Amino acid sequence: MTRFITKTGFSLISVFILLCLSVSGTTAVGQTKIVEIQDANGNFVQVQLPVQRIVVLTSDALEIVCALKADNLITGVFTGISREALFEAKLKQKPKVGDWREVNYELLAELKPDIVLCYARSPGKNLEKKLNPFGIKVIRLNFFKLETLDQEIKTLGLILGKAEQAEALINWHQNRLQFLQEKLKGIKNPPDIYIEGDSRYHTAGPGSGGDKMCTLAGGNNIAKNLSIPYPEITCEWILKNNPEVIIKVATRGSYNIKAKNIKTDIKSKTRLVALKTIQEEIMVRPAWNHIQAVKQKRVHVITNEIWAGPRAVIGASYLAKWFFPEKLKHFNPEEIHKEYINNFHNIKFQGKYAY
Amino acid sequence: MHTEKIYTEYKKFNAKKVFYILIFTIILGIIALGALLHGPSSIGFKNSFTALFKETGIASAIVWELRLPRIIMAILTGCGLSIAGTVFQAILKNPLASPYTLGIASGAGFGAVLAIIFGGSLYSEYLIAGSAFFFAMLSSLIILSIARLKDPSPETMILAGIAIMFLFSSLSSFFQYIGTMEQVQEIVFWFFGSLSKTGWKEISIVSVMIFVPIPFLIKSSWKLNLLATGDESAKALGVNTTKLRMQGMIFASLITSACICFTGVIGFVGLVSPHIGRMLVGSDHRFLIPTSALIGTILVLVADTFGRILWAPQVIPIGIVTSFIGVPFFFYLLIRRTRGYW
Repeated sequence: MTRFITKTGFSLISVFILLCLSVSGTTAVGQTKIVEIQDANGNFVQVQLPVQRIVVLTSDALEIVCALKADNLITGVFTGISREALFEAKLKQKPKVGDWREVNYELLAELKPDIVLCYARSPGKNLEKKLNPFGIKVIRLNFFKLETLDQEIKTLGLILGKAEQAEALINWHQNRLQFLQEKLKGIKNPPDIYIEGDSRYHTAGPGSGGDKMCTLAGGNNIAKNLSIPYPEITCEWILKNNPEVIIKVATRGSYNIKAKNIKTDIKSKTRLVALKTIQEEIMVRPAWNHIQAVKQKRVHVITNEIWAGPRAVIGASYLAKWFFPEKLKHFNPEEIHKEYINNFHNIKFQGKYAY
Repeated sequence: MHTEKIYTEYKKFNAKKVFYILIFTIILGIIALGALLHGPSSIGFKNSFTALFKETGIASAIVWELRLPRIIMAILTGCGLSIAGTVFQAILKNPLASPYTLGIASGAGFGAVLAIIFGGSLYSEYLIAGSAFFFAMLSSLIILSIARLKDPSPETMILAGIAIMFLFSSLSSFFQYIGTMEQVQEIVFWFFGSLSKTGWKEISIVSVMIFVPIPFLIKSSWKLNLLATGDESAKALGVNTTKLRMQGMIFASLITSACICFTGVIGFVGLVSPHIGRMLVGSDHRFLIPTSALIGTILVLVADTFGRILWAPQVIPIGIVTSFIGVPFFFYLLIRRTRGYW
């Protein structure tokens, strides 16, 4: 009988907790609170608040954690932190536990974080299986898709107890998007754009981030009707489509490499030289002197940091400026970038991110 | 009278082989012309043809700067890989010997991976090609050194080659593992193989490295024929088998390295072309080398043209298409064949 009462009691408490969660998403248990969030895969994850120790496995999540002024909670980082010019200085001493693909479970367990932040699909589901027994929650948020960025910032803000900062960041982001939309309203003849990734002749097809960026900035991606997101295309086809603007996306690899020294890659001068070199290489490709964009010197290079990820809106602003130079004559995307770096990261802005 | 009859039969037999070579040369010419005059741009056959002889602005640029270098590179690569494959199979007396099974392609791949990940300030497509070339040659030199230390038998060389292949494949995997997402993507694309990045400068470099060793290999045809009868009988007839193996290995590796350092991995051609050639003209290397070179050239050129046309304007990487086209054809010949040819 006693067992029955105890069992029933537990069941009732459990039902009560679940009811609370489904209504408000949070519930208090003693001193702590439990919050239920929906991750990038649409799965519901319960997290016990306050979160005091976090491990970050992706550069995108790291940027948002820092923008929410929660970097003091970081107890472990990914191995490629040395490539993160903005955040390396304050986080390079933190233990490195793996990367976006694979982690060292022993190290992670030893660090005892409350949560681990990673991408929706990587590392695989094994991460939860291995870490849940240690009481470590895996939070899968991407922060690289424009359409879900605000929601993910809000979720992370809730988990980290930084709702106010999250709101400020979301507001800034939405204002920037609104500004672009207003400026580009009523455009009838969008210019034809060719976007190229790091590898020569690999473009951004339908469903790719590049295609979305191009549309957001008011351009007509010449590869939008192809079949796959990142196809290799023939040079002849580019000539046939004769784009008005060419956008080359320089990923961290290429411009760091060209900047001669990874440690100084953020410095304006080296970056500028690196981006200029990439542009010059494109302009002298065989037969490309017949392309409108090359003839009119409308070939631009943009770095990966503002192309995908939390700063994509800054990248889109550059694109809009390049696509419609007359209409956006007095608009300087670098100012927006400065505003973001200064206000949300308290770091002095430096470097060249577009050319 | 009897000798005369044999001689006439022998001439007839050889004439058949020469006929195959002529037919393949004509087929190659037709395919090359087709590839030159047809492409995804709207310039059309007539304009493309005119552009060959007259400066016509964009049409000339397309024909001379884009299509022609690509076709020539396809010809060079197909020819080089097939000749190298034929020589490897002959000196190692093994039907599975090819630039890939011997670890030379893995060496080149590792070189490319290193350049992509640690290229530093020198990073460029030439650095990738240079590094790929260096490591391809290095794998060949390691095989040769082991063969010299132990014994220069085909078994030692093949086993050393397989070990090298695994070593360089593992090293490539390790560096891919530590590379960034973008670097890994670049490596994957390199391993797919591509003729898109080819220009006249690359062609001139590859041409020199392919055409310098070819006369030597063709000159060694008789010796390679004798090697096929067994080391003992070849030695008895005055062939220095050790020297022939070493020289063959070095020249074939040089050709392979030159081909794949600029194009990336184009598999299967080096393995299958000599077999198709052997099925058609037999094992006489005087005819087998040019025949397999022509077959390999046709295979690469057809694969590249199909890769550009089938899913235009998207390109299916050449490394993938060569196997798509070559394997069914090879199976067909293998099934049709009633007696052993090796």
